[in-house]
Amino acid sequence: MAERASDRLLRMLGMITYLDRHEGVPVEAIAEQFGVSTRQVMDDIDTLWVTGTPGYYPHDLIDFDAASYEQGVVRLTESRGMTRPLRLGAREAVALVAALRAVEAALGDAMDPERAAVLRSALAKLTVATGDAAAAVDVQLSIDAAPDVAAAVATALRHGRRLHLRYVNASDVTTERDVDPVRLVTDDERSYLLAWCLLVDGERLFRVDRVLSAEVLDADAEDHEVRAGAEVFSPGAEGELVTLHLSSRARWVAETTPVDAVRNLDDGSFEVDVRVVQHAWLRHLVLQVADDVLEIRPARIAQEVAAAARAALRAYGEMI
Amino acid sequence: MAAQIAPAERLLNLVIALVNTAGRMTKEQVRTSVAGYQEAPSDDAFERMFERDKDTLRDLGIPILTVTDAGHGDDIGYRVDLDAYALPPLDLTAGELGVLAMAAQVWQDQAVLADTSRALTKLRAVGDAPESTDLVAGLAPRVRAGGGAFGPLVDAVQARQAVRFTYRAATTGEVRERTVEPWKLLARRGGWVLVGRDRDRGASRSFRLSRMEGSVRTVGEPGSFTAPSADELADALQTWASGPERVATLAILPERASAPRARAVPAPPDEPDWSDDPLLAHRDLVHVPFRAEWELAEELVGYGDAVVVLAPAGLRQSVLHLLRTAATLDREVGTDG
Repeated sequence: MAERASDRLLRMLGMITYLDRHEGVPVEAIAEQFGVSTRQVMDDIDTLWVTGTPGYYPHDLIDFDAASYEQGVVRLTESRGMTRPLRLGAREAVALVAALRAVEAALGDAMDPERAAVLRSALAKLTVATGDAAAAVDVQLSIDAAPDVAAAVATALRHGRRLHLRYVNASDVTTERDVDPVRLVTDDERSYLLAWCLLVDGERLFRVDRVLSAEVLDADAEDHEVRAGAEVFSPGAEGELVTLHLSSRARWVAETTPVDAVRNLDDGSFEVDVRVVQHAWLRHLVLQVADDVLEIRPARIAQEVAAAARAALRAYGEMI
Repeated sequence: MAAQIAPAERLLNLVIALVNTAGRMTKEQVRTSVAGYQEAPSDDAFERMFERDKDTLRDLGIPILTVTDAGHGDDIGYRVDLDAYALPPLDLTAGELGVLAMAAQVWQDQAVLADTSRALTKLRAVGDAPESTDLVAGLAPRVRAGGGAFGPLVDAVQARQAVRFTYRAATTGEVRERTVEPWKLLARRGGWVLVGRDRDRGASRSFRLSRMEGSVRTVGEPGSFTAPSADELADALQTWASGPERVATLAILPERASAPRARAVPAPPDEPDWSDDPLLAHRDLVHVPFRAEWELAEELVGYGDAVVVLAPAGLRQSVLHLLRTAATLDREVGTDG
């Protein structure tokens, strides 16, 4: 895809600033700094070289040391007053500061002191540079892990070590397994550990709040090919299709559950289609929204849930 | 001069010209002297090109001032305000840049992601060295997309400009126009929320972005409402704050409900004596800390008969209420066979 002119402009302005602060930088280093190819850097330098102030006589133009450039080293000799770094736009500052604050709040404690210090200094510098802009947005991420689990996961990820997990699934079954951690995925709902599970020899997502204990093993984690998008729970086409007809108050279900389809009905109620692989999960969902369930298809699901609820009520000493 | 000048090059020439101009540049001066504008085939084409370029630059955060010259009537000129242009003094280490690069990828929203990658390009210019991702290896925080409403709402909060949108109320399903003075956007469990003053109700309200339908329009001028006082804002945010930590007392069947067990804490000092409770003949006594009662109730109800809540009473009632409703599900619904 062709790069947008505005993105290229920003990078070229950034290069002038950067080259003004660094005397003579190899093309490769510039490419690495701005995350582009060396070919792109040379295109950018060529363009910078012919831009300047109206008139465009040699002394009007941005200029580089030609002899040095032939050796692959870029040395800025004339900047036409463009050396000051461009400020962040309001929305840019908001988005970045809010993200950083959320990361700090959610993950700061689970990090080792060195990493936490870098996170905090980045946040402090950015806040000073952007002022109070970020007050507009407040993001909370949920980590939900026991502190020792969070610490073990962080250590294993940082040092590329294998982990031994005790894990309980949605059906309340506990298993023990060794995993090679890939990423800790944290969002506003909860955190997941994406890892290669040696028990099933495949990638698995573990809800961090269901990791009962985690131990860093004295073994290096191996590199595994992980499918793109593996960190997102997707219902998969193989599950049973269940339709829930819910009243408007349960709208959060459509917003927080991976659903196949949502249909808004005229009376404000709505239907969602969900693919169900784990019945324990669906039972749990229906129990949570029991007040707002108008209909469940197939009806067998409603019977299962009701039976589970009656069993629970008997445990409370209630008969229904 | 080259026959074809790329848009990025033309934009760069315009910025440099407007930064270096002695006082201001008129549109006509731009057209005749800034490289790239001579190619416009007609007056109209030039107008469109120049307007679009100005918008592009302002969008990038480049402050283009409009300067009128008293001596020349309505003759408008432009320049870049260099003081407003520049980032305050800032140097970033490779590690800090790495942390910022991670933060720039947090957003799942394409529009916001474009904003944060721009910010990152700007910050790379003041980084000592390429970003080091060592420190953030393996971390992938995510913030869910706020949808089309997010960008306009952020702008409106910052500009203190009222907004109007169509909203589907959760409680009644009623769809209605709302006019709101936007105060703050929150990302919480379950999505994005706008907190602000509902002008029709004359009181603060929360709105889920996912329930806004269609587009968000601004109403009135920027700066047209007074920012909420600290107390007003704190009151409005109260709903979204987590309460003080309390401890629930649970009776759990052996070997069951391992996840709440893993969070167990010692019994609080004022704990009543449960040892006579007949339930505990076959169950373990477990204490679990919580903040939001509804949240714990919704979790525990999923364990069915494996978990019985002994205390506090409110939590017990919440769980019982859910169970009683669910127990009748097969009588009232699902009769379609």
